[in-house]
Amino acid sequence: MIWLMASALMFSIGAYGALTRRTAILVFLSIELMLNAAALSLISFSRLTGSLDAQVVVLFIIAIAAAEVAVGLGLIVAIFRRRETTSVDELRQLRG
Amino acid sequence: MSVGFWEILALLLLVGSGIAVVRLQNAVHAALALIANFLVVAGVYVALEARFVAMIQIIVYAGAIVVLFLFVIMLLSAANANVGQDLMPRLPWVAGLGALGLAGVLVLAVSRFQPPASPPGLNGGLPQALGPLLYDPEKWLFALLAVGFLLLVATVAAVVLVEPERIIAATGHPAHPRRSDQPNPPQAEQKDEKAVVKR
Repeated sequence: MIWLMASALMFSIGAYGALTRRTAILVFLSIELMLNAAALSLISFSRLTGSLDAQVVVLFIIAIAAAEVAVGLGLIVAIFRRRETTSVDELRQLRG
Repeated sequence: MSVGFWEILALLLLVGSGIAVVRLQNAVHAALALIANFLVVAGVYVALEARFVAMIQIIVYAGAIVVLFLFVIMLLSAANANVGQDLMPRLPWVAGLGALGLAGVLVLAVSRFQPPASPPGLNGGLPQALGPLLYDPEKWLFALLAVGFLLLVATVAAVVLVEPERIIAATGHPAHPRRSDQPNPPQAEQKDEKAVVKR
């Protein structure tokens, strides 16, 4: 049960980081922390209920996180090449 | 599940390295703190009978993903977190209050979870136990194939995103016109022809 609480705390810390960081890379880093907290809660639920399916889901989470990082960092590099910045405050062309 | 010395130590390490990830001002240090967090989580996975997932966590997360992060941070010289001007100086306080509220709600939710009295064993979470589930057509086989296809698509997308020059050469027109090129399109077209000739 303590791991479920650890996962809740890690998720909240990651949400705080995603809200307050001003560089796109560091926002992304905080989102990785949140993903990891979700995986930790799945593993501890798997232990508490005795079901292996949650561990398979965590494997999928890790694979999808790898794909997400590849595309996300590619986007950040492409934006940096054109704009010379990755500050999320300066990327506001979509604001109406 | 008893709460002993190691559980408390791991909880403190998880929370401490998480706070380091979101608060350190040097992005390289934040990424290294994220590696520390992932390694502690892998240790917790071993304690929770998920040994195969723990190994994958170390190899893929701490080994591959964070190294990719460090590579991009150093490539872009984006180590300093204090870029630009602070448009919302009070945001950390509001976000901190929101995160505290979120933590309270989540802890309340998980503390009401009633696990079954004697759950069946997990065989240590070894590949022998996970493999039959992963390749069972009635369970996860199609999800596995879909994730494999997703990884292929993501690889192609990453290559396409970071190599705009080659796309211009192959198709004859820029997939992403540069901002400085937009006011005078004839010049941009000239550049494209040069790229095609060069190829």
